[in-house]
Amino acid sequence: MSTANKTIHFTLNGRPVTAEVAPHHTLVELLQNQFNLNGARESCAQGLCGCCTVLVDGKSVSGCLYLASFADGTAVDTIEGVADGVALDPVQEAFIEAGAFQCGFCTSGFILMTKQLLDAHPAPDDDQIRHYLAGNLCRCATYPEIIRAVKLAATKRKTVTA
Amino acid sequence: MIPFEMLEPKSLRDATALLDADDPTIRPLGGGTALMLMMKAGVFQPSRLVSLRSVEPRYSTITVNSDGSFNIGALAPLASLEHSADIHKHLPVITRTMQVLSNVRVRNVATIGGCLAHGDPHMDLPPVLISLGAKVRVIGPDSERTIPVADLLTGYYETQLAKNELIAELIIPPQNGKRSVYLKCTTRAAHDWPALGVAVSVAGNRDGLSEAHVVISAATERAQRVEQASALLVGPPANDKLFKDAGEAAASAVELIGDSQGSVPYKRQLVRVFVERALRQAIDGGITQ
Repeated sequence: MSTANKTIHFTLNGRPVTAEVAPHHTLVELLQNQFNLNGARESCAQGLCGCCTVLVDGKSVSGCLYLASFADGTAVDTIEGVADGVALDPVQEAFIEAGAFQCGFCTSGFILMTKQLLDAHPAPDDDQIRHYLAGNLCRCATYPEIIRAVKLAATKRKTVTA
Repeated sequence: MIPFEMLEPKSLRDATALLDADDPTIRPLGGGTALMLMMKAGVFQPSRLVSLRSVEPRYSTITVNSDGSFNIGALAPLASLEHSADIHKHLPVITRTMQVLSNVRVRNVATIGGCLAHGDPHMDLPPVLISLGAKVRVIGPDSERTIPVADLLTGYYETQLAKNELIAELIIPPQNGKRSVYLKCTTRAAHDWPALGVAVSVAGNRDGLSEAHVVISAATERAQRVEQASALLVGPPANDKLFKDAGEAAASAVELIGDSQGSVPYKRQLVRVFVERALRQAIDGGITQ
């Protein structure tokens, strides 16, 4: 049996990168251990809580349930790549303005999922927000503020693109 | 997780040759969402995984045929079914079921073939697919066969598949105006495994049903048709009394498993209530497919 490492190539936050991965490594382990990106973090380890959310080819995945070798040939985006230099993304601004976090552990996942949510529903109602974000848990329970932040972000995005 | 070997064949037929009918530590991997949970928990310790992610792209496509039937590649992610306009038009029960199936991230990665091959009785789609009369086309190193989804699932995490057989595609027959509903009941948190899943599919109206399928999952060791309830429903006026009787018949017929989601008596009451409710919704909901 060969459990040899594999060399993979992918785009990480817009930059081409190469990594050596073992077959049993997860994407969140790869990001933390080889790229020092700690925004996606494993919490529930079951794909339920959303703290390890990253985007692969523009689609959200749970980094804890996604093998690192799957990233070969893809474009991976993490929370660290969301801001444009020092300019925060409208979703990040909205979360700060609405106070949509307490400890912040889940926030990077919520922000990435909110970006996806707003791509699918640019002006979401409460039901759409609750449904789309049902797979993200905030144990500080800032859910009312998160819903406000999502709506605020929708308004900000509209202003930016208008 | 412990180290293992990972192979990435370029064809589905090649993948079957890399599996081993006699070695349970070798398994195929689709999206991997379910298997990853087992590996992380140490319940499954693979020596080799055969990734199906690089096989022919045709095994990821959704095709609607002129008669309204579907051929769906086993590697199609659940999200592709969720967002398919053809599925929404012809099989709206699948679109609606996706709204209550796990979460966006899992649906982006998990595959329809993996969902069926896993044999987990708690999953949402198997009962729905059974109620729609769906089949799977299965290939082995030198074989090919077609199995109704109802027969594929044989027990708790058990299927008819040999360890070197793979689901190639899902085949859903034309529904010809039948109405279908899936309901599930979770007893702790909304995202938890259901205590019960009920899928029904009926043809007809309040004057009488010409066809009825009642399927129970999650509370049982496998998703399964409840013939006693289905048979009762065909013929007489489809009134609330008939639906109540069908719920009662289903509750007496199925063998239930008591667990942390609920005791056997509790689940029996859930079956009564949810079968009746699902039938009423199918008839009155105006949801045609």
